[in-house]
Amino acid sequence: MRQERVYVMSGNAFAISDAQGDIVIDPHAPIGYFSFDTRFLSHWVLKVDGERLNSLSRDDMTYFETRFVLVPGAASHYVDADVSLIRHRSIDDSFNERILVLNHSAEPAEFTVRLDVAADFADTAEIQQPRPRRVSVVADSERRQLRLRYARERFVRQTIVTSTAPVEVDEGGLTFRIRIEPEGEWVTDLHVATLIEGAGGRDLRAGLEEHRDHVRRGMREDLQEWIERAPLLNAERTELTATYQQCLVDLASLRYVPLTKSGAVPVGGVPWGMALYGRDAIITGLQTMAFTPELARATLRTLATLQGDRLDDEHDEEPGKIVAELRYGEAAAFGDEPTALYYGAADTTPLFVILVDEYERWTGDADLVRDLRHPTRMALDWIDEYGDLTGDGYLRYLTRNPDKGWVNQGWKNSPEAITYADGRLPDLPRATCELQGYAYDAKRRGARLAREFWGDPEYADRLEREAAELKQRFNRDFWLPEREYYALALEPDGTPVDALSSNIGHLLWSGIVEDERAAAVAAHLVGPALFSGWGVRTLATGQRRYNPVGSHLGAVWPSDNSLIVAGLRRYHRDGEAARIASGIFDMACMLGGSVPELIAGYEREVTKYPVQLPAAGRPQAWSSGGLLMLLGALLGLRPSGDNLLVSPALPPGFGRIELLDIPGRWGHSDGYGRDHASSLRTRRPRLR
Amino acid sequence: MGTTAAEHLRTLTPERRPGIPDTMTGTLRLDAYQDGWTEHWYLTVADQRIEVSRSADDADLVVRAHRSVFDRLAAGELRASAAMLRNDLTVQGDMRLFVVLRRVFPGPGDARHPREAARQLAAESAAGREARG
Repeated sequence: MRQERVYVMSGNAFAISDAQGDIVIDPHAPIGYFSFDTRFLSHWVLKVDGERLNSLSRDDMTYFETRFVLVPGAASHYVDADVSLIRHRSIDDSFNERILVLNHSAEPAEFTVRLDVAADFADTAEIQQPRPRRVSVVADSERRQLRLRYARERFVRQTIVTSTAPVEVDEGGLTFRIRIEPEGEWVTDLHVATLIEGAGGRDLRAGLEEHRDHVRRGMREDLQEWIERAPLLNAERTELTATYQQCLVDLASLRYVPLTKSGAVPVGGVPWGMALYGRDAIITGLQTMAFTPELARATLRTLATLQGDRLDDEHDEEPGKIVAELRYGEAAAFGDEPTALYYGAADTTPLFVILVDEYERWTGDADLVRDLRHPTRMALDWIDEYGDLTGDGYLRYLTRNPDKGWVNQGWKNSPEAITYADGRLPDLPRATCELQGYAYDAKRRGARLAREFWGDPEYADRLEREAAELKQRFNRDFWLPEREYYALALEPDGTPVDALSSNIGHLLWSGIVEDERAAAVAAHLVGPALFSGWGVRTLATGQRRYNPVGSHLGAVWPSDNSLIVAGLRRYHRDGEAARIASGIFDMACMLGGSVPELIAGYEREVTKYPVQLPAAGRPQAWSSGGLLMLLGALLGLRPSGDNLLVSPALPPGFGRIELLDIPGRWGHSDGYGRDHASSLRTRRPRLR
Repeated sequence: MGTTAAEHLRTLTPERRPGIPDTMTGTLRLDAYQDGWTEHWYLTVADQRIEVSRSADDADLVVRAHRSVFDRLAAGELRASAAMLRNDLTVQGDMRLFVVLRRVFPGPGDARHPREAARQLAAESAAGREARG
């Protein structure tokens, strides 16, 4: 059986252990305590009198705190154990563990409590095969401290473990020889500080007391306030409320403040994506606009600061481009990976413009829009100057880093994701369809910004003209008349790549679809080849490379589906929107807990239960955000001038829902909806 | 190449730089140390212009590195963000101005425009087809 994993996390810091709280590395998963893309603990194993411990129970109190109740030895003598341990772990910008040992016998007892400790300082990019590093260790029993240090030139990382109780420290860990009175207890607090020398002058040696205060007051209060700032959902189906709450908590847990210090942005998600990804952050910002607009604000500011400004082949950078990935580990610092600032994404830049406009529409924060005029103009200029690679007016991508660059630079960035129906792979540079939708939308929204905020009506006219031409050209070149859908991509010579994919749903979201074609596109999205019953598959069955467990070749992504549902509602395809949203909500409610990044594309009728994939992380920012976007789309929330419009279209069985205190330029406003079936029933008592 | 940071900064002309955001104002001090002494370059940013002087006054963002690190930045051989992660360059103060540090120095000399890379690839695959045919 697969070993259960337990994690605590806060922003880009996280610790993954087994069910007993022990950390023993595994090449297939990022086990350990990580912060800023470095593993600061790779071994952390607790023993009593030489025996490993077993877990009796566990309380995952919050995302940053877990309590394990443990007993020594094998399962057979659980019942009459006369000693038990409580291991209380918490994380903020340090890792902390309180170990409490309880003597349940009527006699005094002596124990040897041992904690084996090691740090390999591996980079998150090399978990499968960490290279050996020379780690120097200083054991200091007098100061009750174990220091592990790794240095490469001026790049220095340190792990400093300190105990409050007296301890014998050696290079492999900590030994406590303790005596406990009858029915008595013994306790120590372990503080694990991570030290990153340089990198913005960060010095993370926070005092233990300060940390405990921070966790008790700061973090719990912060989480409470975060939840209170978001709208309150009341739903007849209580599992919807639980799912909603979980999404809000997940988004809270995934926030971190980058070194650029422009507020807290979402990281991608647990366990592989604990870093800033431009795409994930922008999509999350769009998804959560009606709920937690502060994410969009911080994302815009941060991405503007990191905007590309030069030609650089290794990093696929061009002036005006919005960053794809930002890492802080050794691999990024020394150029083993191009991720110190990697720009290999063709969608982030138009999506950035879309987020600027959407943010203003909801919040009315015109100051930010004026302040971001320059980066937004640079982003708009990038689309034509650097994104149109063959001069045919389409946004394309081609990595200039043959070793480490992404072959595919849209959200489906696995190597085989962009394919013909018969399985052939098209040449590069590729123009995927959704990129054209984003470019169209960015130009239209850029025009509004230019006209209303930047006082540049001529530029606005030009953008609108370009957008109209793009829409016309696109509908001519991408449309496959016999199949009645848009091609997934165009080859460099303009040949359409004919696979049927979920990308066509993004086109509805962008508004590039001609009205008379929306019905056909919607029919495909809920047709048997694309719709699994839980959601829209990334790639339709019947395509040669279709694979229900392939991330971008058949699996179902909640984030993808949230944009599709918003697009369907934009084109008044309310029935199709409700069907897909209903499937995703059923999936989330059935699985419980955090919404996974993706599920397998198997037919719902066949498996009855959503099939999870080991590669799918959770929580994930754009999955949690996706559920919020689905909720907003079903209620039909839309800013119009200074008002919030609500036009609900709920799936049958949704019952009545109320979303209260939706923040925006209107102050706070409420949204109500009920499904068609329940409105036919007799009057029911008001919720609350 | 061979331009040192000192030469690069000395020749920075006061014209408008379209790469600098028009709303950005502030001061940066670059501290380049070598052999026990430090050279200070003081950059004042306003209205998309950068004025360079020699002063050790307080600044909104202070960037400190060995002179050779600044020279490599000026030659387009090193990215400021990577140097910072390696702790070869430290910054203190208002990180919004980090953009100016990046935009004052050039990128790698051999970088291609994406369209040029696309043309090269097209030429290569045409040649490949010819060779096969």
